[in-house]
Amino acid sequence: MKNFTYYRPTTTEQAVSLLEGRWGNTELLAGGTDLLALQKNYIAQPGRVVSLTGIAGLQTIVVGQQNVQIGAGVTLARIADHPDLRRLFPALTSAAGDIGGPQIRNMGTLGGNLCQRNRCWYFRDEHSPCLLRGGNRCSAIEGENKYHAIFTANHRCVIASPSTLATGLIALGATAEVLGPQNRRRTIQLANFFNAPTGPNDREHNLAPNEIVTGVTIPVRGLNNAAYEVRQKQSSDWPIVQVAVAFAGGRNGEKATGVKIVLSHVAPTPIIADGANRAVENRAITDAIAVAAGQAAVAGAKPLSQNGYKVRLVEVAVKRALTIAAGLPRYWEV
Amino acid sequence: MPWPVNRRLIGRSHRRLDGPDKATGRAKYAFDVKRPRMIFAKILRSPHAHATIRSIDTAAAEKMPGFRALHIIKKAGADVFFAGDEILAIAADTEEKLDDCLRAVRIEFTVLPHYVKESESLRSPTNTAGGAGATNIVGVGDLATDNFAEVAFNGAAATHQGDYGIAVISHQCLESHGLVAEWDDKLQNLTVWASTQAVPATAERLRVVFGLQPGRVRCITNYMGGGFGSKFGPDIQGETAAHLARTARMPVKLMLDRAEEVTVGGIRPSAYGNVYIGAAPSGQIKFYKVDCYGTGGTSRGQTVNFGLLPYVYGPGIPNIKRKHRVVRTNIQISRAMRAPGHPQNAILTELAIDDLAAKLDKNPMEMRLINLPPNDSADAAANPRTFPGMRATIYRREIEIIRRMCNWDQNWHRPGAGQGTIRTGLGMALHTWGGGGNGPNPTRVTINANGTVLAQSSSQDLGTAQRTVTAIIVAEILGLQPSEIMVDIGDSSFGPSTGSGGSTTCPGTSASTLKAAETARDAFLMALAGRLNTQPAMLSIEPGVIVNRANNNQRIPFRQACGMLGVPSVQGNADWPTVPDRAQNAALREEWQTRLTNLGVGGVQVAEVKVDTETGVVRCSRFWAVQDCGMIINKLACESQVAGGVIMGINYALYEECIYDRATGRQVNPDMEFYKLGGIQDMPNIYVHMMDMPERGVIGIGEPPTIGTAAAVGNAVFNALGVRVPYAPYTPERVLAALANRR
Repeated sequence: MKNFTYYRPTTTEQAVSLLEGRWGNTELLAGGTDLLALQKNYIAQPGRVVSLTGIAGLQTIVVGQQNVQIGAGVTLARIADHPDLRRLFPALTSAAGDIGGPQIRNMGTLGGNLCQRNRCWYFRDEHSPCLLRGGNRCSAIEGENKYHAIFTANHRCVIASPSTLATGLIALGATAEVLGPQNRRRTIQLANFFNAPTGPNDREHNLAPNEIVTGVTIPVRGLNNAAYEVRQKQSSDWPIVQVAVAFAGGRNGEKATGVKIVLSHVAPTPIIADGANRAVENRAITDAIAVAAGQAAVAGAKPLSQNGYKVRLVEVAVKRALTIAAGLPRYWEV
Repeated sequence: MPWPVNRRLIGRSHRRLDGPDKATGRAKYAFDVKRPRMIFAKILRSPHAHATIRSIDTAAAEKMPGFRALHIIKKAGADVFFAGDEILAIAADTEEKLDDCLRAVRIEFTVLPHYVKESESLRSPTNTAGGAGATNIVGVGDLATDNFAEVAFNGAAATHQGDYGIAVISHQCLESHGLVAEWDDKLQNLTVWASTQAVPATAERLRVVFGLQPGRVRCITNYMGGGFGSKFGPDIQGETAAHLARTARMPVKLMLDRAEEVTVGGIRPSAYGNVYIGAAPSGQIKFYKVDCYGTGGTSRGQTVNFGLLPYVYGPGIPNIKRKHRVVRTNIQISRAMRAPGHPQNAILTELAIDDLAAKLDKNPMEMRLINLPPNDSADAAANPRTFPGMRATIYRREIEIIRRMCNWDQNWHRPGAGQGTIRTGLGMALHTWGGGGNGPNPTRVTINANGTVLAQSSSQDLGTAQRTVTAIIVAEILGLQPSEIMVDIGDSSFGPSTGSGGSTTCPGTSASTLKAAETARDAFLMALAGRLNTQPAMLSIEPGVIVNRANNNQRIPFRQACGMLGVPSVQGNADWPTVPDRAQNAALREEWQTRLTNLGVGGVQVAEVKVDTETGVVRCSRFWAVQDCGMIINKLACESQVAGGVIMGINYALYEECIYDRATGRQVNPDMEFYKLGGIQDMPNIYVHMMDMPERGVIGIGEPPTIGTAAAVGNAVFNALGVRVPYAPYTPERVLAALANRR
């Protein structure tokens, strides 16, 4: 690990003032579940590390009538266990409760989950060619890609977006609160938060190098919502695909409206499955509609040499997430 | 019977004496050792899968802050044969400075062609893996039984031909390979704290490497954090640490990091084969033909156990034809891994039997009962306690037990007969192993005047049972409790011992422990008799007391008796009989090898799986294992050993696979993230039944309980789906592909 200077500011303003206008030399540290591994593997080699753990303002959860605000430093374990969040946003809390294992959830944070680097094994091996590390080719396209993106059209880098909180937050219409230099605050729809990187100067999100996420705001609209992930192991594993859905109505024969179906681990960014949304919009959710939504969700998928199976898994995950959100029997739990 | 007939402790369940120490961290492993002035070392490895080293420039590294010593392993001009191959090592003051030093080394390579996929290496026109040979194919086995003829295939009521296989997996030891090396001031004595399953052998190898006098190297392994056949010596990393420690004149710690552990700590070879099998209408297998290959990386050894193919049932199958090729690849060498070749054999045999049974519409349990290897009558006549003479009897008994345990008759259904999205299936497999002990394993038991009892041997604690097993045996003989025995193991200064390989530790040490305890007891009673003015024959040991029949059955508490000895201590020493091939030792040898201990076990396992037919995710939901191990010393440890083997087998059935990138030849998952290992939530309830056959003596079971597990899981998946998933691990993509092929 390269030596670095460690900072632990106590306010978000101080933290922002420590950042630079370019990526790489200064990195933000929250739970450390991502950055420390990147540093040990010399993928990240910052000269300065700014810890966010001393900023009390990032640790709060405020449940209001109109919306809920969650600080970026709130741990995944707190999100997963919060009674109000569990009641209002099961898409978020079930996803948080599924992440990694207890150790990861006790350290990992909301902000870290949104801003983490991708898990591509070529990106994380300094001896493998990788566009994101300045290489001239993507090793995954011709290489070992069973966990990579299946929506690959127009993407030179085929990472799978790793955040599983993103899907629920996008489906629920959440926004991210962002703080930049000179106390400049801005709000980004989570749907616009993510970026498909293609080179070493890109990140998997649209923040500027001198901005930080301070929290997210989720509107309270009484939406039915759920998340479902297909994972091979129950203990400490990444999802192979993950889906979150949210809609108004849609239970007891009532039509679903405002349908949002969001997919993760299938493309370089989380993606909103518009075709699937249309397949469900203004319809009562039945098994047949859920199946049709799953099929619509994978239209346009262009899997790689080894991950065609993920197309099928997206169909199933969409169907199951809709089934949960609609309150239908979980036929796969026996 | 040479073991006590009335056994107060042996054969019952005892908690591990060192469990609390291990759980709380009081137990110190090699990885935990911190010596005064200790520095750190790491090996610089080839990033390329095959290359020639053109030049090495360490000048900048040697000027880095914290640099202490350099050790060159391969010089310019040498070839490297896998990504991870060792080139040089550096020692530095801290681990951080060490990394900086290593990154300052400049090495130029000429990159050469490589193969990391065995199917491609099989077709390679050149040798990319080094050594002699025109291609990467190094071992060809081609054997058929006498009179084998294709005509054997005629007249079979059913035949089946199918592909089966299992991937290259990593040993993935939780405590990585390596050691801490420390020299004395005059560089004449070396002490190492090593993670090894062969304590004296590790010391001896280092002694030879450094040309030291006997007794000058001491290896200490008080606790051992995982070894499955890959830790039989210091290895390059251990020798390197000792070199660096000598150069730097400071203690050096060199333990592999996780990525190194996975990429160089040892692999288990793959095996892939096409099997053609046929049976008579009765279900009796008439022929078995296999054409298989596998890779052990750059190793030249077998990947299956060729002599034992087809597995278990071979002695009852009249026509056998087998072909096997060892295909080298540019990945690390294979290390013997927990029953080398046997799990591969089980995959290439047991799965084909279930496919054949399905063709015959036969229950696979009945199919196995029909095809059990017959008891070897000659063997049975020569010695009624050996396994070949009773194998059919043992398997039959085990199958009957497991049939009831898992309620097979109720729970088994025809392949694919279930309904719904989640399909349940049952599958079974048989296995066999040797597990006989041997010497030298000298053991010393000391009874001290202060009432303490100490048992010492250099043998290591590989299987987590060794300390407790030793204590149980000594306590049994001395009328004490296991917790009253101090056990010192894992130190080469206690003398020789055999490495813990082949399930030999318990049988190899328990006999000498018994004899040492008995000798110590006799010396104790002799000394005590002198003090009590009686004959030793008048004294006997009962739990906690010495009974003196010469004095009205006076009961003297053990501790008090120790205080009456009049000498500081009495000792008993014992070891395996030496010069075992001499005629006068034949009876003694027979006692040690077929009565005190023995060789050869069988076991039966049944897996229940639940397969999500939409996602292809397989979960092992329940598991049953019936295992024979001759005479049980610690029932709880045996059950635990079996459960551990099952857990390992489920892992390589469902999750484990080393994945290599074709272009770079590098392993993409040298970690615990994408090199998947099941956690507690992924493991089933495991129900273990131990057969206790004390008349056979002690037999090791380190290996057996993991052998058939993956095959049982594979057959359970087949039973659930009615379609064969050919290759383990049975991952979602493979399960979905198999289901799609059926549609």
